[in-house]
Amino acid sequence: MSEFLKGNFKTKSEVKVKSSQEENEDLQDRFRKQALGSIGGSMVYVERTALDWDGDED
Amino acid sequence: MAMKTEGSTQGNFHNVVSEIGDIGRDWHGNTITDHAEFNRPYCKKGKSIKQLEKPEGPKADRAIVVSAGPSLHRLHSLETIKNSDFDGSIICVDGSYMKALRAGVIPDYVVSLDPHPTRMVRWYGDPNFEKNSKNDDFFNRQDLDITFRNNSILENQKNIDLVNKYAPKIKLILATSAPKNVVERAHEAGFDIYWWNPLVDDPNEPNSLTRKLYGLNPLPCINTGGQVGSAAWNFTTTRLKIQDIGMVGMDMGYHIDTPYNMTQTWYELVEHVKGREDDIEDYFQKVVFPLNGTESYIDPTYFWYRRNLLEMMSQVDFTTYNCTESGTLFGPGIECVPLVDYLQGTIHG
Repeated sequence: MSEFLKGNFKTKSEVKVKSSQEENEDLQDRFRKQALGSIGGSMVYVERTALDWDGDED
Repeated sequence: MAMKTEGSTQGNFHNVVSEIGDIGRDWHGNTITDHAEFNRPYCKKGKSIKQLEKPEGPKADRAIVVSAGPSLHRLHSLETIKNSDFDGSIICVDGSYMKALRAGVIPDYVVSLDPHPTRMVRWYGDPNFEKNSKNDDFFNRQDLDITFRNNSILENQKNIDLVNKYAPKIKLILATSAPKNVVERAHEAGFDIYWWNPLVDDPNEPNSLTRKLYGLNPLPCINTGGQVGSAAWNFTTTRLKIQDIGMVGMDMGYHIDTPYNMTQTWYELVEHVKGREDDIEDYFQKVVFPLNGTESYIDPTYFWYRRNLLEMMSQVDFTTYNCTESGTLFGPGIECVPLVDYLQGTIHG
């Protein structure tokens, strides 16, 4: 956490600060998901579901 | 290429395939919703796919779905259609639409689905072509249309003119996931537009995104199979109610001579295997097309699309004719036949 953000008071609940390693892993996970998202192509697909759905009234 | 054959065990390949659905849903969720929000006024003023009149006569009996795979160019499938007496319905995906017009084939319907903000508008002639293609080699890596690649600005203007000329005669089956520039371009060109929602999850589940999309735009929702070609097959099946369908350009893979770095998701795969570059071969499988022994290869994305389409086809009680004459799409519910045979009506549904 940035030194500037340290306050002179105690919070009611404990604040957990992510280590730089955790932040780096988060970032890597995000990039990986982005890459896979693009690999996933143009749209999502719903397996084992009807070919179409016209709303509740049908 | 030291490529493994389909069916051999490849952990890396199948690990990616198994993750594509969930991650794609996370990745595209916000984009789809944003686009559906933007498109609300257009949908409200426009027509629902429900209002689409069913085709009549020969156009109700048979259809050809024209996808944009590399065989379309390589095997001159559109020219073969043009030179035939085929009088059924012709359904193009957005990526094959321009090629069809240029070949003199005027489709009855064009299906558009992809939410990409800068790439898809190219299929309609892009008024901001230079800006949208800057720093993006997506099309250059794959484009088999050498004329376009060598003189893209002039060819883009020709495309704009061609689309403007034919748009009023064509029904554009436009998903609410379409980006702003495609929607604006489609209206400017004068297409007869019919709107639909992509089915993106189970609408009966709590917090369903499909139900949210339906809430924004109360339109029929169509399962897409993950890509526009499969969506076009589903549209032909469930909306046009045609059960004798031939497909062309549905390669679902790459010709065996295509370098890996010319494939659609090359950069993403490279990013995915970072640090394990020696594993890249694991992400491609060789497939032999049963009709004529043509060799192709498939990557995880197309493997996933192919599996989805085969699953969708298992829900109907008719056979679909794959007239692509190459690629990776074969299996239960599909008969691979030469295009000329299908066009001549010697194959019956």
